[in-house]
Amino acid sequence: MGKRPGTTALGLGLDALSLAIADAGIDKSEIDGILTHPGTTSREGANHYLRLAEAAGIDPRYAGSKSMGGATAGALVQEAIMAIDAGLATTVACVFGDAALTGGQRFNSPNGDPGLSWGIWGMFGPQANSALGARRHMSLYGTTSEQLGAISVTFREHAQLSPDAVMYGKPISLEDHQSSRWVVEPFHLLDCCLISDGGVAIIVSSAERARDLAKPPVHVAGMGQGYTARKSEAEDWWYLPHQKAVLDEAWAMSGLGPSDIDVAELYDNFTFSVLLWLEHGGFVERGESGAFVAEGNLKLGSTLPTNTHGGSLSDAYMQGWTHIVEGVRQIRGEAGPRQVPGAETCLTTGRGMALNTANALVLTK
Amino acid sequence: MTYDKPLPDTSDGSAPFWEGCAQHELRIQECSACGHRRWPIGPVCTACLSPEHTWVTLPGTGEVWSWIVYHQSFNKAWEPDLPYNVALIKVDGAHTMISNLVDVEPDAVHVGQRVEVVFEDATDEISIPKFRPVS
Ligand SMILES: [Zn+2]
Repeated sequence: MGKRPGTTALGLGLDALSLAIADAGIDKSEIDGILTHPGTTSREGANHYLRLAEAAGIDPRYAGSKSMGGATAGALVQEAIMAIDAGLATTVACVFGDAALTGGQRFNSPNGDPGLSWGIWGMFGPQANSALGARRHMSLYGTTSEQLGAISVTFREHAQLSPDAVMYGKPISLEDHQSSRWVVEPFHLLDCCLISDGGVAIIVSSAERARDLAKPPVHVAGMGQGYTARKSEAEDWWYLPHQKAVLDEAWAMSGLGPSDIDVAELYDNFTFSVLLWLEHGGFVERGESGAFVAEGNLKLGSTLPTNTHGGSLSDAYMQGWTHIVEGVRQIRGEAGPRQVPGAETCLTTGRGMALNTANALVLTK
Repeated sequence: MTYDKPLPDTSDGSAPFWEGCAQHELRIQECSACGHRRWPIGPVCTACLSPEHTWVTLPGTGEVWSWIVYHQSFNKAWEPDLPYNVALIKVDGAHTMISNLVDVEPDAVHVGQRVEVVFEDATDEISIPKFRPVS
């Protein structure tokens, strides 16, 4: 991940697939399911799964592509679980690749968001939706830019423990956050995630099959997904009511709750996104998340170590895929200097589009 | 004077809305079967799926639900306006809509602020609804 000039979305996804196959200790011939997330620079559109499978030399029994922005990774893992549970596949590779930084990135281009007509009023780019939510949260609950900055600084501290992170070796202070330029107010530059090249692959199989693979299995104890498709017609769209439903579902399925979670990897396209996950997950009451993060509760060694890899703000922006990878590493005990000692439970979340899509996974040992 | 910012595509079913704007009226679709008002513009009622509807004129008042200020350019035509605001307005008798606040400094805006619609005549055919504080 990071800056990889000359690479392509397809090539990065295949590199990741190769690494994941080696990590699992399986043979490529065992993969009978291919689920993919076309990157913003992928050329294949809805046929992405076919091209990737062709390029990987795999004729799958089960396949498909989804584009749900930052919710795609979790949605594909959930679909893989359902396919395996239904007997349609045994070993499913979920793959993402994007040359978003050097391959002609589109995140900041005009009309790059699904609300094309909003350009009539000058509303462009991915920041706007979350910025509107942040402003209203600030107005209703007294949340401050400094509290958002505490999230940014904490995740950057965590990235200093991960040599693979894009922002490794580049610590920041709260003053740096406050003095970074405005992008879309109330978001400073350091409230916004990175734009990165990279690829990620996650291999899903049954708990039984995973038992004797090369690495200790990580189980999905609970999951949920949900959508607020309506935007302007849903007056609480800015607060993302579907995210609460997603987490309620994941808690119910897993039999666990917020107090049982050892480590959290929460989708952080912008700092504000983290506040809503904390409120929707029941880690804090509505409106109390700003104070919670400012108290340092997301730091390693504290109440709820969060985005231990640095998150999208400081590790790399892989549309939420690396949050699941980091969750797996934490549960396996592979996270090195940033390992949460004895971590046995992890919440991972993803969200995408114009705040519309969301899902969560509860990972356990 | 040419207007080079993005203009609406009125071929997508939104023409009656923009015809209302040209007359400086803010209109919304009201379902003839159940009375639900829907926004954004769509072919069927979001409550009961009936396609039958009328266009009703709203009073044009509302309140600021949220607002943001652009400092970075995402679109050439909007660049000269930087910094400019984008606001989410809760329209009385309807839902929320994206717009801009005019005749107000960013520091003077607050959530809950009462506003009223004004129309910017962009072209001969298109007038764009925006909102200004009610004094
Ligand atoms: Zn109806």
